[in-house]
Amino acid sequence: MTATLNKENIIGQPIDRVDARRKVSGAAPYPSDFDLPGQVYAALISSTVAAGRITRIDRSAAEAAPGVLAVLTYDNAPTLADPPTNALGSTMRRPLKDDRILHYGQHIGIVVATTRAQALAAAELVEVDYAVEEPVLDMDDPRARVEDNPFGMETSRGDVVAALADADVTVDSTYTIGAETNSPLGLFTTVASWQGGRLVVHDTTQAPSFMRKALAVMFGVPEESVRLLIPFLGGGFGAGLRLWSHTVLTALAARVLDRPVKLVLSRPQMFTSVGHRAASRQRIRLGARSDGRLVAIDHDALAANGIGDNLPSPIVAGTPSAYACDNLATHERRVHLNIPYTGFMRAPGAIEEHFALESALDELAGRLGVDPVDVRLRNYADVHPESGKPWSSKALRECIEVGAEQFGWSSRDPAPRSTHDGDWLVGQGMAAATFEFYALDCDVRLTIDRGGNAILRSAATDIGTGTYTITAQLVAELLGIEVERVRVEIGDTDQPQAPQSGGSGLAGALAAAVQDAAGALTERLARLDGRPGESFASLLDRHGLDELSANGHSDLAAAAEDSDVAPAGAFGAAYVEVGVDEDLGLVRVRRLVSVIDGGRVFNRKTARSQAIGGAVMGIGAALLEEAAYDPNDGRVANGTFGDYLVPVNADVPDIDVTFVGEPDTFNPTGSKGLGEIGIVCIPPAIGNAVFHATGRRVRDLPITLDKML
Amino acid sequence: MSSATTARSTEVTVELHVNGRVYPARLDSTTTLLDALRDDLHLTGTKKGCDQGACGACTVLRDGKRIVSCLTLAAQCDGSEITTIEGLAEDGVPHPVQDAFVKHDAMQCGYCTAGQVMSAVSLLGEDEDRRATDDDIREFMSGNLCRCAAYPNIVAAIREVAGE
Repeated sequence: MTATLNKENIIGQPIDRVDARRKVSGAAPYPSDFDLPGQVYAALISSTVAAGRITRIDRSAAEAAPGVLAVLTYDNAPTLADPPTNALGSTMRRPLKDDRILHYGQHIGIVVATTRAQALAAAELVEVDYAVEEPVLDMDDPRARVEDNPFGMETSRGDVVAALADADVTVDSTYTIGAETNSPLGLFTTVASWQGGRLVVHDTTQAPSFMRKALAVMFGVPEESVRLLIPFLGGGFGAGLRLWSHTVLTALAARVLDRPVKLVLSRPQMFTSVGHRAASRQRIRLGARSDGRLVAIDHDALAANGIGDNLPSPIVAGTPSAYACDNLATHERRVHLNIPYTGFMRAPGAIEEHFALESALDELAGRLGVDPVDVRLRNYADVHPESGKPWSSKALRECIEVGAEQFGWSSRDPAPRSTHDGDWLVGQGMAAATFEFYALDCDVRLTIDRGGNAILRSAATDIGTGTYTITAQLVAELLGIEVERVRVEIGDTDQPQAPQSGGSGLAGALAAAVQDAAGALTERLARLDGRPGESFASLLDRHGLDELSANGHSDLAAAAEDSDVAPAGAFGAAYVEVGVDEDLGLVRVRRLVSVIDGGRVFNRKTARSQAIGGAVMGIGAALLEEAAYDPNDGRVANGTFGDYLVPVNADVPDIDVTFVGEPDTFNPTGSKGLGEIGIVCIPPAIGNAVFHATGRRVRDLPITLDKML
Repeated sequence: MSSATTARSTEVTVELHVNGRVYPARLDSTTTLLDALRDDLHLTGTKKGCDQGACGACTVLRDGKRIVSCLTLAAQCDGSEITTIEGLAEDGVPHPVQDAFVKHDAMQCGYCTAGQVMSAVSLLGEDEDRRATDDDIREFMSGNLCRCAAYPNIVAAIREVAGE
């Protein structure tokens, strides 16, 4: 029997987040809130140079300090296996592998002591000498290793060279984006213990199933002998998608000491230990006919990488499916630098791609004398431009048109510098977004107990997106029970494996698996010959059953391979009004309209929060955020919240969010994922608005005041 | 309980009044109120986001006014009335700010939420002109970072309670 979402009694409703009460009362446990009996505390020893070798480590003073239990460095720590490759790429070089230093802040040892203060004090006593090498920190450094087409995803169709030569109008622009850090508020934490040969880890991770596999390989134990627990995360935005060295070192220390060990990163360590959005430089060339139709797109992206790293995060992957254009070529390169390892950060690659492409389209519109909205609509991809298949759903046109209407775009004077408000120049800009479909396979187990309550179990995570809430709504809708009767047990790898919270892929994969399980469970319940109107509790009781369970599975990526339609990700459009004070170089966002086609929306309240969160992080990317590396030693010079500026409440205007579109026809539950679509339009829309306000095109993010003076 | 870490450290005896309870404690004199709350009193609802007074996640009330507990020594609070997120509900009834945060979804991951709620409660005790407009509320709340960016919903929640 298949269960289908043909009703929306519960699903879609803007019910309160089911974990909200715990969050507003301080009762939701985050990794740093866990303490285990007999627990001791760890502190990291970090490299103070960006490149070279360790020539001497003297642990003696630290080992003699009060309370110190262990000091582990490359020359005395047990050897671990190298981490495996998985769908999120391999983990970077394993920690304490040898004496090499690849970046400033590299973890070169771990100190464990009875108290946290003792561990921190002792870490300062470890003496380290280095043979320092000149670090490679500049993308254009001739010593830097550059990889061409590192993901094998470059594409080409038609003849882009000829089309550019024949175009009526061309744009050839280069866009740069500074390094940006995820900077979740929750300090990443690991509490590791070995319990009868089993590694149990409370860890800030968005991908517990992947981490379990990786830790099992590194420590040489069966996968079942590793358990990750992460009921509440404290934010991640992609930072929790890789297995970072602090997690491995804490688990190693716990094994050496055979005691629970707790490590909480400091805020400065968060800037060097858990990844960042790599700095990038993109060149876009567009060719168009005088009527605004695109005839050529050539997109080249270069981004930074840690030395020897292979983070699978392409920038140009989405460009071929964005617009209808017969001639297109994409190029992707990575340059290896002595910087802290990069990672995934909300809409990785897509942010970069859209800033370049959607800014270039605005430049093209200006040269053509065509409205930026019309440029998007004239090149609208009615079918998937690469495969030629119909989209499984696409309401991008509606996003653009509804947004224009709600924003009042038609009353905009297209001339730059045309609008003033006191000392402020006012500008309006827009951008559109096409987000790539992404999914991995997912398993769940659904149980009805004798009390008539449902329990849904899966090793998924809720990083603040609302996984607990939408899963409870799905189960309630599919089984026909109240939300209050559903318990969602996630964040535990003893549950069936689930994909990461990432790539906007979890909600769709999890929902499809839940629907599969609900169908199977409904079938089992039907075999019990229920009486009309009989409750599940009565049914189970009458048959002497304590509970009834069914497993559910989804593999949307596999299904996509031989689909007749092109599975769509989410679409969006954003309209932004900025004020620019030219005397001070200030740019302020005054108004923001975001319209999103995310397919079926499971909860309009939490979905709106996702869209707002994306928009605000987009404001940060556009106007505030850049990690600054000291050009001499590779140190992150602004690695605190006092120096690295993220948006605060006063930076954010009211944000108008609208959802459009229909349930997706490929995903069995109609969902397309919402975690990232809300951010991708924002930086280009702001850049385009700044141009409209001032007549100045800033092609370098963030648009800080020094670039406006 | 924390213990001495260097020869210069000294322990102090402190009487912490938290959420209406009295906690006698012997602490290293350098122990912050935040660490005392979390490590010694096991009140983990108050969060550490930066330990540098820059994020507001550790906001609590001292004698009704908000402070960042990471930049406050526990020893400075001897005899003060400290209120944390765990002490806001009265007889199991949540504070109106807590209810409003739930209703308006003024959180996502929830890590900053305790600090946001404590700042919001503090704002209600301030002069009314500090919350006269949405911009006033935004200004007052700008010491509490929310990386998930529930900001507009936080403003809506506070506006609702402040308007009642």
